[in-house]
Amino acid sequence: MVQLAPADILPPPGAGRSSRLVSAFADRYFKWLMIAPAAILILALSIYPLLFSLWVNFVNYDFQIPGHDFVGLQNFLQVIQDPLASSALVLTILLSLTVVAIEFVLGLALALAMVRTFRGRGIVMSLLVMPLFISPVIVGQSWALFLQRPFGPADYLLGQLVGHPVNISWVGEVPWVYIAIVIADVWQWTPFMFVILLAGLAAIPQHLYEAAELDGIGGLQTFVHITLPQLAPIITLALTFRLLDAVKLFDIIFMLTGGGPGTATYTASFYLYQIGFQQFHLSIATAGSWIFLILLSVVIMVLVRRLLRVEAA
Amino acid sequence: MKARLTPWKLGTRRLREGAVRIVIVGLFIMFVLVPLYWVIVTSIKPSKDYLTVPPVWFPAEPTLVHYTAALFSYRGLQGLINSLIISSAATLLSAVLGTMMAYSLARFRTGGQHLAFWVLSQRFLPPVAIVLPIFLLFRGWGLYDTHIGLILAYTFMTLPLSVWMMYAYFRQLPKSLEDAALVDGLSRWQAFRLVAVPLAAPGIAAAAVFIFISVWTEFFFALILTSRYAFTLPTIFRAFLGFQGAQYGEACALATTSLVPSIVLGMLVQRHLVRGLTLGALRG
Amino acid sequence: MANVKVSALHKHFGPVHAVRGIDLDIPDGEFTVLVGPSGCGKSTLLRTIAGLEEIDEGRIEIGGEIVNEMRPRDRDVAMVFQDYALYPHMTVFGNISLSLRARRMAKSEMEERVGRVADMLGIKSLLERYPRQLSGGQRQRVAIGRAIVRNPRVFLFDEPLSNLDAQLRDEMRGEIKRLHQEIATTMIYVTHDQVEAMTLADRIVLLRDGVIEQQGAPLDLFEQPTTLFVAGFLGSPRMNFVKGRLEGGPDGVAVKLNGGGPAWPLPRGRNPVLANGAEVIVGLRPEHVGRAGTGPAAQGFARVEAAIELVQPTGSRSYATFKLADQPVMAELQAHDISHAGERMCVDINLRRVSLFDPGTGKAL
Repeated sequence: MVQLAPADILPPPGAGRSSRLVSAFADRYFKWLMIAPAAILILALSIYPLLFSLWVNFVNYDFQIPGHDFVGLQNFLQVIQDPLASSALVLTILLSLTVVAIEFVLGLALALAMVRTFRGRGIVMSLLVMPLFISPVIVGQSWALFLQRPFGPADYLLGQLVGHPVNISWVGEVPWVYIAIVIADVWQWTPFMFVILLAGLAAIPQHLYEAAELDGIGGLQTFVHITLPQLAPIITLALTFRLLDAVKLFDIIFMLTGGGPGTATYTASFYLYQIGFQQFHLSIATAGSWIFLILLSVVIMVLVRRLLRVEAA
Repeated sequence: MKARLTPWKLGTRRLREGAVRIVIVGLFIMFVLVPLYWVIVTSIKPSKDYLTVPPVWFPAEPTLVHYTAALFSYRGLQGLINSLIISSAATLLSAVLGTMMAYSLARFRTGGQHLAFWVLSQRFLPPVAIVLPIFLLFRGWGLYDTHIGLILAYTFMTLPLSVWMMYAYFRQLPKSLEDAALVDGLSRWQAFRLVAVPLAAPGIAAAAVFIFISVWTEFFFALILTSRYAFTLPTIFRAFLGFQGAQYGEACALATTSLVPSIVLGMLVQRHLVRGLTLGALRG
Repeated sequence: MANVKVSALHKHFGPVHAVRGIDLDIPDGEFTVLVGPSGCGKSTLLRTIAGLEEIDEGRIEIGGEIVNEMRPRDRDVAMVFQDYALYPHMTVFGNISLSLRARRMAKSEMEERVGRVADMLGIKSLLERYPRQLSGGQRQRVAIGRAIVRNPRVFLFDEPLSNLDAQLRDEMRGEIKRLHQEIATTMIYVTHDQVEAMTLADRIVLLRDGVIEQQGAPLDLFEQPTTLFVAGFLGSPRMNFVKGRLEGGPDGVAVKLNGGGPAWPLPRGRNPVLANGAEVIVGLRPEHVGRAGTGPAAQGFARVEAAIELVQPTGSRSYATFKLADQPVMAELQAHDISHAGERMCVDINLRRVSLFDPGTGKAL
């Protein structure tokens, strides 16, 4: 039998004394060293800008008016008194709730339809989720092209469907322009709801349904008493993620309507972009974005805290 | 008396459900595909097919002329190269920094829930609320309209995604392997590099693809933080706003150039889609 | 090669006080087994020695050097984990040689060393395989090889056999014992299995709720348990416990079981200092309850008549359960001493080997 001789005693890992000290130091503070680079980047690009903009809130910072004089709450007043600001906020809320509701219903219907396996399901899945990988700018542009009057195919297809020529000005008239935005957003984000809800449905234990079937419970009752309660945490999660993204709506507006006709489709993000980067009233835009941020962070706090709990469970 | 399902009744119910299913899925697939098809087919249509009623669904003489125009006259090529450079670099940076932070959060509970929550909350910050100060900051530091500036901005933007996806991943890896590595004489960093990272490689790859896609398709930061030099592919679409001229072909060629790579990549990570969309909160 | 000394060690996990003041002195070369029920702090103690857990209070010395602040890599200890913790992305060679790579050893020396260890464990043909291609026993050997390749000062084992099936477990147990005889390095071994503890240990340290209940040579613990807990933990089948009370008799102290029966006079030298009539728990190992021979009971034995209620043959032995003063007691009989339940027979109880415990404190009397 082979014996490991005492001469085989190994030197400790790490060669020199000084490098050993460095490495011991690195190990001691390892967990902080590991988060440092990312944390510094987030600090530099999130906390610092927020602090800087806190100062900008209360001074004049405008490419059209020189100097940085202290102006008190003037910037905030400018935003609050601007009727366009409040209408943009209202529109943002209404549009987000509308698109999220429609996406949820469609996504749930799709998920229920896709939950059983069938031949070709993989391909169908791939087709259904494609919009998620497309730039929202391209989505906006594509729908602008598709809804174009008079040569876009949308009006033509609708005309074929109803049997007489249709001539809708999708991005030029008020009720239609909202519908156009909703369609484009629903097109892009329904797959999001679908994918998450499908995962949730697939995770519901099959034996619950088997038990229901044995008890003679009908399809709708099964849905209400088994599917929905089991799915509830996932629904919360999906709605939270989607809602918090929907309120940022910008790209589709930018490409599809440009805020028009007139200012009819100004959302909060688009409004702030116009004030800040088209009219260069930087301090007013900053004050506006702070108001937006504060309104949002209340929602974020409540919803994301709840999310963390779902995740922890 | 309970209603009993005779085989016959069961059969018709199945059939009816199957039909409803096919109609729902079929309609939605049409809804998804028709506009996409329209974009792609327009990109290869000769200009004379643009303005016709009824629309031309199958061009008789397909052409690639719009692609050359889009790439060279609209600086599409430079946008493409910029997008590739910036997306790759930001993906690399975000995956590395995010994996490191995620490891620390998952293994040492660094900073408790607060730090994790803080990182997650960054994901929901509206870009418009921070882009303005970043814009001013970048102008001051000479980062405005530079590749590096946009790379940093995108790394920052995607950190919550990489951190949370990897956080969820590390938490399901057994800790004993790293314990073994420490006892074997590795430093913490070596245990991370030689043991934890190789084990997490599939997760890191999936996260990296999602990061790449979200950077590749991003518009708002690029719109504000670049102009003539470091612009990315999505920002070029500004040139086609309103479709004043007959630029349909060019716009669609550019759109196709942008959406094909991200869709292909997306297909590769479809299995991880649920984790990617929910930042790892849900496993698919 | 080193001794390990633990003094006044405390470790908390949040509100849980996992290790509460442990003092332990393990001489160089000894095979020490830490044993106890799950949650007794044995694994935590082992992990603090390895440096994988920081300690809250106390001191750990290895080879006379205080290692409280020292990282695992600088302690020069090796550990075998419960789930083997083989690196799945490395070959067997990679697994065994990682600790050598960490020390920047030359490749030729590394190969030679890994080769020797692989020879010793009979896994030389597996060096290019990955852990997923190995059987449970082979993985176990690789894990041991990984530990011994660097010739550490101390080996730590954290329930290394608990994932193996019974037969392999017996085999590997023997190999670990042989390994210790060959390399004679200090080994600290954690298990919840009292058979492993008995067979492997030079010394058993029995832990309960974060403190040492009793420590010593295996047979000392087995024969002279200081508490009810130790007596019940070691031995399989378990020691029988019946309630009774002490009675002063003409020839010294006797025990009378609750529920009737005659008083058993205790042999000389077993004179617990307790008041007459004090309640006690009487501990009887099954092997000290056997079928009565012909003729009267020998000196120091008590004979009772038993109505056997349950028979569990194991092949070499049969275990028979009967009621003694209304309390169930198991006897170890020769395989053919009994055939079926319902039989009545006489059994002799060896009073010299009876243990007595104070029911209030659980301490041996």
